[in-house]
Amino acid sequence: MIDTFSANSLKVLEKNLDEFIDKYVYHLSVFKKDNRTILGQQYHALICQYLKGYDISKMKLELNNTNFFDEFIKTIKPDNFIKTEYPFLIKDELNSKPYYLTGRYDAVYKDEGYIIYDWKTLNIPKNIQDDLQTIVYLYSASKIFNTQFVKIRYVAIEKLEYKDVEFKNIAYYKERIDKIISRYYDIV
Amino acid sequence: MIVNANSNTNRTEILEKEYLKLIRLGVNPENILVLVQNSLKKRKFVDCIKKNSPAGNIGNLKIYSFYGLIYNYILENWAIIENSIKDDRAKIIPNLSGLEISQYIFKECIKEVDFSGYNSKTSLLHQLFRRISLINLNDLSNAEVENRSAILGESFSLQAYEAINKYKKKTIDYRAFDYIRQINLFQFLYKKLENNFQYVFLDDGDEITPALLAYLEYIKPTVKEFYIGYDLLGSSRLGYLGAINIDFEKLLNEKAIKVEKNNQKTINAQKILENVKNDKPIELENISIKTFLKRDEMVENLIQDIKKLINEGIKAKDIAIITPNSDEFLKNTLLKSGFDFNFLTKNEKLNQNKLIGYLLELLKIINDTNNLDISPYILKGIFIELLKFEKVKTIQLIQEYKLERDFKNINLFDFIKDKADFKILFELYQKIRFEKLSVQLYEMIDTFALISRDIKNDIIKINQLLKQITDFEEVLPEVSNSDLIIQLENTIISENPLSDDEIDENSIVVSSAQKIIDYSYKTKYQFLLDVTNENWLKQDIGPLYNAWVMQKKWSKNSFELEDNIEFTKDRTARLLYKLYLLGDNITLYSSVYDSLGIENFSGIDKYFKSNVIIENKISKPIIPRPDQQAVLNYKGGLMSVSATAGSGKTTIMLLLVDKLLSGEIIKGIEPKNIFVLTFMESAARNFKERIKIRFPNLTELPNISTIHGLALRIIKENNNYSKLGLDYDFEIVDEIKRANILAEITSKFSVSSDKVDLYDKAISTYKNEIALYTDYITDNRLFLNVYQGYQEKLKEENLIDYDDLLLFSLKLLRENKDILEYYQNLAQIIIEDEAQDSSFVQQSLIKLLSGKYKNVIRCGDINQAITSTFTNSDVRGFREFIKNSTNVVMDRCQRCATGVLDCANATVRIANKNQIEAFSSLVMKPVENINIVDKNAVTINIFDEEKEENNSIISDIQEILKNDKQATIAILLRNNFQINKWDKLLNQSLIKTYKNSDNLINNPLYRIVLLILEFIINPYDIKLTKEIASELYEMGYYKYDTLQYANKLDKPIFLADNFDEPLYWDLPYFLFKNHYCMYDLVSEIGNIYFSNSPEKINIALIAAMVQKIRNQTKTFEDTVIKLRQIQYKTNFSNIKFFTHDNNQEKNSKVQIMTLHKSKGDEFDYVFIPELTKENLCFTPFDYKLKESSKFNQRVRRDKKTDEELKLEIIEENYRLIYVGITRAKKKLYLSSAQNYKYYSKMKKYEPSEILGELL
Repeated sequence: MIDTFSANSLKVLEKNLDEFIDKYVYHLSVFKKDNRTILGQQYHALICQYLKGYDISKMKLELNNTNFFDEFIKTIKPDNFIKTEYPFLIKDELNSKPYYLTGRYDAVYKDEGYIIYDWKTLNIPKNIQDDLQTIVYLYSASKIFNTQFVKIRYVAIEKLEYKDVEFKNIAYYKERIDKIISRYYDIV
Repeated sequence: MIVNANSNTNRTEILEKEYLKLIRLGVNPENILVLVQNSLKKRKFVDCIKKNSPAGNIGNLKIYSFYGLIYNYILENWAIIENSIKDDRAKIIPNLSGLEISQYIFKECIKEVDFSGYNSKTSLLHQLFRRISLINLNDLSNAEVENRSAILGESFSLQAYEAINKYKKKTIDYRAFDYIRQINLFQFLYKKLENNFQYVFLDDGDEITPALLAYLEYIKPTVKEFYIGYDLLGSSRLGYLGAINIDFEKLLNEKAIKVEKNNQKTINAQKILENVKNDKPIELENISIKTFLKRDEMVENLIQDIKKLINEGIKAKDIAIITPNSDEFLKNTLLKSGFDFNFLTKNEKLNQNKLIGYLLELLKIINDTNNLDISPYILKGIFIELLKFEKVKTIQLIQEYKLERDFKNINLFDFIKDKADFKILFELYQKIRFEKLSVQLYEMIDTFALISRDIKNDIIKINQLLKQITDFEEVLPEVSNSDLIIQLENTIISENPLSDDEIDENSIVVSSAQKIIDYSYKTKYQFLLDVTNENWLKQDIGPLYNAWVMQKKWSKNSFELEDNIEFTKDRTARLLYKLYLLGDNITLYSSVYDSLGIENFSGIDKYFKSNVIIENKISKPIIPRPDQQAVLNYKGGLMSVSATAGSGKTTIMLLLVDKLLSGEIIKGIEPKNIFVLTFMESAARNFKERIKIRFPNLTELPNISTIHGLALRIIKENNNYSKLGLDYDFEIVDEIKRANILAEITSKFSVSSDKVDLYDKAISTYKNEIALYTDYITDNRLFLNVYQGYQEKLKEENLIDYDDLLLFSLKLLRENKDILEYYQNLAQIIIEDEAQDSSFVQQSLIKLLSGKYKNVIRCGDINQAITSTFTNSDVRGFREFIKNSTNVVMDRCQRCATGVLDCANATVRIANKNQIEAFSSLVMKPVENINIVDKNAVTINIFDEEKEENNSIISDIQEILKNDKQATIAILLRNNFQINKWDKLLNQSLIKTYKNSDNLINNPLYRIVLLILEFIINPYDIKLTKEIASELYEMGYYKYDTLQYANKLDKPIFLADNFDEPLYWDLPYFLFKNHYCMYDLVSEIGNIYFSNSPEKINIALIAAMVQKIRNQTKTFEDTVIKLRQIQYKTNFSNIKFFTHDNNQEKNSKVQIMTLHKSKGDEFDYVFIPELTKENLCFTPFDYKLKESSKFNQRVRRDKKTDEELKLEIIEENYRLIYVGITRAKKKLYLSSAQNYKYYSKMKKYEPSEILGELL
């Protein structure tokens, strides 16, 4: 039985229970790594190494076009980033049955509060306010950092754009997550 | 904290509790490193932490397997490595790929290194992989490797060093590192980085490698506390898996907490450990042993046991089947039982999976611009299985395509583009033909909606394939799609330590012992299979790796056989100790033969004793005759037994072994100390079966084998093959391969193709010569060139031939004192049957093996030496032995009627009179009141015409059968080709026959398999369908109605519509059911029509043989053609079918066979017709020598003259007729005609001289 959920698996579960079972119980998904995925992984890796304080000038050479990346990198400074590629694991429960939320923050920035960074290669998704990633990330960050002063920042790397979503209502987040998980818990 | 406890305790729980304690004290999980054995154990540890954590943030858990730690470490800190590489390339993310890419890279490197002279090129890659793996796991420096090379006296260490260096360099160029190579990067990194782990937990500490130990030692000064769980007696992964025994108390300067459950299980486990180490068998209440002759019997019995347990309410998860031989036979048989089994992954070729096979084939077609030689069978599979096209339409389309392709050379896609039902494939082809392979594959999966719950077990494989393709494309973008497909087909997917097996609770696990231990998989019932098989003792040594000497702790200056034995025993003891702790009830299953009919030896059975006494079913004791009794009076030393035909030699040998086993002759002798050598495999099997019946409680039988069986054991046991430069997976070359090699080599030296057979035989002769005269080299230059080319090719492909088997074992014994001593200590007595047929090499082996105890009994009859013209047998050796040993004569023949005895003795006198030294002076005598007294038992006829001879024999047989329905009758012939004539003749007279020849086609199983395979490729051939129906009718499988239905068929069976006819269901079933793997297809055909033993195991033999041929031929169709071509081969790939003792097939049938084949058999009535001078000549002057006989002489050191050769053949002819005569119990009929049909004309023939002389 599955008791650990990510933002992505919750998205699938919310959309279609059968699809969720296919993908996460039977693992009926096909491995796909297209050029876009590879590029996304490269950006993530480069930024991660950069935020860790490593010299990325040689690694960067693998990118065809480094200009915009250089521009982008200027917008972030390692100093206040406390975490990069940071996995999280949160325990919660639904009708006394435990469940876990898991995921990986691309980076965490700390000032008065916390900013969870999420790098997007091209575009920032629409409706980020209501996006399950936003909900899961903010909900879990509030638990991890023990504060409601958290926000999530989606950054479109190639466009040098970003959008923030502030933490709002913990009860709403939990309710939304519980509701989705109950679709599966009710049948197992 | 150090916890010394075994897996029967709560050791892991203690560690988990300590971990949670730290968390409660406020330690950040990021500062606690937990190292467990594998991903499955990681998951369990994580689950425990999750379960016991309060709600809220659990934190960033650092729980890893060693390889998981390395993998993450490299990815997190890759910049350090990239920046340290001085080149102008760059990689943002390294490719931390599987071994498949490494294999490709390593192959390229090997090409650049001069390994000339190295034996097995095919295994070189494997050798080097093992070598680098051992170097890295054991954390060996270059100096340490050099030191070990010197200890082992390695000849190719420099080349290995060079190849490994090149490989290392190339992996850096490509930034592609498999998990073994990643160890090097990890070592580089952790020395550059600060350690963040204040607390380190390590479970299964006894199984860690020196590489991990080095890391732990490095971070030790910065770690506040270690928590180690280990089993001081553990370390089952010693050897090639690289575990090291560590004294953690000394390492951490801390006393271990000993958690001991002093229950019986722990005590017993420790007893097992001790007993195995001291070579003492153990008897325990919860261990039972079941022994079988054939593997199918063993597996069937296992299934019955499982059925019983499940019926009693035992759950699948409470049962584990543990075997090192989880092969196709086992899988197929278990799956047929209806239970669910979970075969934990093993290294395998990707295309062993049917779906993957078809996907790769379709990719091949798409990427081949010509695609004109597509196998229609494969195409059918792709269309029906993969693309789900309608079955009948597919068959019709393929038939049309075959015809058009033959005439117009039309491309498949051009052919289907206008066909509405198949258009989707054409459109897909158009869309993806120029894409890279990963895209093509992804699109195929998508277009044909392949992913569904029905194939959930295949998804992992599909993803493995996609992942592998993507990896290749990333690392080696220059490789073309077509080349990549070839690479993928040949790649063996190795186990990746980062992925683990899913264990499904509703399935019975089938696994290796090591995996059960690694997963600490506890069950109520453990079934240990194949316990007599040597694969239980892992292969740790090859020409370029030695897992024992390459251990970090190795300190000796030499490596002896004894070391290997001791280390292997130590590791086995630890393995069995750990395994025992995980099971409540343990049943050991063994079979004398494996799935291929090859004898098992050297397993773990010797460490256990059965507590169940099986009653001996033999009630009637055999009372020996006085001349037989002399054999049983044997007290030791050299003894020869000259036993005439029908003297009861086999029975007396059996009694002798009985007596030996009871300890009456040699005190304290054990079955393993008794060696019995037979000439034929069937005799060895028969002997074993009889011993098994007489001693049902013996778990270990005496060593009863042919000389080839013994030689194979000597080469394989204790990794001795490595001393010959062979890798563990060397194979014996089969006939097709040998013929191909010879054809290739001879054509290189412009030898005409009709002479190839001469070389084939001469190579065997020559090998025997060089064994006999070690410094002899033939002066026949051309032959020598061919011989050397042939040997070179065998070496390159890690193959040996049957002569090598004997030569190599002899070489091992001659050149290695320790190996010789090992077998001399074992062989307290050697008994040889058919000693007159023993070759020089065989006699040398016996002499060497008996060197210590000098107890040798050689049984034979010089008068029956009939193999010297086609084998290397050397009757002189036996003659000499008789002179130099105590000779017991068994001259009483209780088989033949007195008249037959007189005839046999007369033959001896005639030879003597003609001054042909064919026989010994032994005169056969009858046994009073036993032999039939009949002075007229022999009839000799010389007919004018062939027809008269035929009619006379037929009417005699009819008369015999009228009076005695149970009579056994045989027709014995000089040549194989005569068999069919007599078979036809008798059948025309409605006399049932049994062709007793080893021809493959004579085996009904082979016939049915071949016919159905032919039907699959020719479904439109109605004649073939009728033939199948007739064959199955003959076998009693179909009723007469079905045969009639088939005979009336006017269209292909798959287009017929008679639903009531079994034929309608049977054949289309095979036509539409597509097996990518021929092994599976043949197994299925066999299992449908044959359900008893020994056919079940014979199915496995045929399936393996067909698969082997499939691997050597281009297409399915070629394989089927080849199977038809070899139908008259008597023995292919040394496949020896198992036979019924009371073969139903033979009952009430006239048996037809060659004189040679009849040896060892007996019949009430024997006919030996067609005794012309041409068939059996007794005058040297009249005999025409064959070219092969002359050619063979040219490679001998002491060449015989033509006259000498002729004389030898004539001597053997005398013995041959003698053998034929002495087969008859009641009546013997010798005959010839003076005119036989030769093609369409009658030709005069002279009757053989012997007839006249005997008359």
